[in-house]
Amino acid sequence: MKPFAHVFADLAITAAAILVAIALVMAGLYLAGYPAHLVVFEWTRGALGSRFDLAVAAKNACPLIFTGLAAAVAFRSGVFNIGAEGQSILGAIATAFVATRWLPAVGQSWVAIPAALVCAAIFGAVWAVVPSLLDRYRGVPIVLSTILLNFIALQLLSLLLEGPLKAKGTEVVQSDPLPLAYWLPGLVDVGYLRIGILIALGVAALVWLIQARTSFGFELLVTGLNPTVARLSGMPVAARQLGIMMISGAIAGLAGAIQVMGIEGHFLGPTPVSYGYAGIAVALLGRLHPVGVVLAAFFFGLLDQGASNVEISRYGLPHEVADIVKGLIVLIILVGTAYVARLRTTVREA
Amino acid sequence: MSAFAAPTFIMKQAVTSATPLLLAGFGELLAQRAGVIDIGIEGLMLMGAIAAYGAAVVTGSAYAAIPAAILAGVLFVAVFALITVWFRADQIVTGTALNILAFGVSTTLWHALQNYMTGPTPHDPPQLFDAISIPILRDIPFAGPVFFQQYGLFYFVVILGIALFMVLKQTRYGLIVQSLGDAPDACDAAGISVRLWRSGLVLFAGACAGLAGAYLSTMRGHSFQVNMTAGQGFLVLALVIFGRWTLSGLIAGTLLFGALDGLQTYLAAIPGATTRVPHQLFDMLPYAATLIALGVLTRSRAGPAYLAAPWPADR
Repeated sequence: MKPFAHVFADLAITAAAILVAIALVMAGLYLAGYPAHLVVFEWTRGALGSRFDLAVAAKNACPLIFTGLAAAVAFRSGVFNIGAEGQSILGAIATAFVATRWLPAVGQSWVAIPAALVCAAIFGAVWAVVPSLLDRYRGVPIVLSTILLNFIALQLLSLLLEGPLKAKGTEVVQSDPLPLAYWLPGLVDVGYLRIGILIALGVAALVWLIQARTSFGFELLVTGLNPTVARLSGMPVAARQLGIMMISGAIAGLAGAIQVMGIEGHFLGPTPVSYGYAGIAVALLGRLHPVGVVLAAFFFGLLDQGASNVEISRYGLPHEVADIVKGLIVLIILVGTAYVARLRTTVREA
Repeated sequence: MSAFAAPTFIMKQAVTSATPLLLAGFGELLAQRAGVIDIGIEGLMLMGAIAAYGAAVVTGSAYAAIPAAILAGVLFVAVFALITVWFRADQIVTGTALNILAFGVSTTLWHALQNYMTGPTPHDPPQLFDAISIPILRDIPFAGPVFFQQYGLFYFVVILGIALFMVLKQTRYGLIVQSLGDAPDACDAAGISVRLWRSGLVLFAGACAGLAGAYLSTMRGHSFQVNMTAGQGFLVLALVIFGRWTLSGLIAGTLLFGALDGLQTYLAAIPGATTRVPHQLFDMLPYAATLIALGVLTRSRAGPAYLAAPWPADR
């Protein structure tokens, strides 16, 4: 358990980072001649103004919860899996195979959807095992191999969509539409929000439970904090690191499955919206804690939905301004954390 | 003529597409040798691309593009250097955040630039750079079109490459760069400021990546497009590693994959060619080959010993 003072410092840095990032963007907008306070008002209203907006924000948050958890779980144990992008693409590929090729005739959703989810998790985990083994046996840094595998996954997806997954009777590069049984049921009547969000929250709860309430979770934490201590205490460090990569990859794989079954129009296209790298930002903003990740993902979802409304408002800013806020928040958190760490060292030495 | 046509076409393509990758690669290579990995090259190239095109439009002169791109790259990477070298934050996370930021900033600036160009007083895009043919040399069979009918930046990259080669091999600076990544504590003990040196090399990497971005938007391409780097920054990262952190390896790898890419373009253009290899395999190749090279050929360890490790290590 972290000392209360540290938790408080974390929360303070996070809050300050969000405020400073918003202030910086507002300053930029003023300099560019926009009425920044009105833009921010519009942004807020666009994010929180209606049930529809909130539902879309939750929909946006859904894949980010998965990729954020995938990154957080790995980073917390000192494993630098930045391959959530590739692992979620593998999950999407698995879902397309299950739904349109292997088990298209399954009629019941309660069989079809879990089958796809399990398969996606397995594909994601397998894609994450490769870098783990390369690290263990060949000394290839996981950071490097996961980046490379992200791009290999993207090309693999494109290759499969022109081969075994190609839709029949069309020249468009995409998979066949998913059978109805694979469509995630809707959750509310507006905003395309489906039960994917419940699955995401369920996975977050599960991760929290494992981390906070099991000795396995404790071992993972110690492995991350100090591998030497972990090894000397008799923990199987190498095996734990492989396990972490598999869990992380499986969670990322679920992001791909949920995307295909619920958000991306019920088929697999050549460019799945990339949530892998954003997941790293979500994990950091959420302080690598499952609850934090969920909150951070919702915050990013709100930012995106608000920015989409700013784009169609009379201010006409592109919705990518949301990415400026996201990037700034992460950078400021990094600076703030480093600064506080330095303060603590100074105080300890004094 | 015809006997040379296919290889000439392929290699000319290879050199044209290799130019920005080599330039950004030189900078990244030096930074990584010194122990700093910047996975934000993608974002730096985007910033260079938008700054170059924006400066050209606003000033009406293509030549403004060059300093603007360098400045954009340096300013952006300065944030990275500050956070990673001086605050010792994680390099991978910082690079990722800067990529996200650069995507947002470049897209927003592009939006503003389009408004500016079509605004009350319309601004036409200026005449941008054409390829520079070097007299006499351009007429040499094969080598002429391949090496002497390129954009101006290519000639600069050649000169820079030779200069770097000599500095790294012949001077003590080469040794310092290497030691910064392999034995930073030894450097410190020898009175070499690890932080200043690393910052300088990272800033150089930013300038290179920014300039590479300018190549995309004002030379090879003639406008900015949202996310126009399309993964080239990450390709640079792969190529530096594939070349095992050596200049010659980087150059060989970049030209090799460029040539394969050119070959694929060439084959795709032949009407009626039946046995066609899917282009995805070609696109996948640099990454897959790098992964295999790392996994199969690694003898002892991969890369500089202190790559991505914050310095000083003690807390």
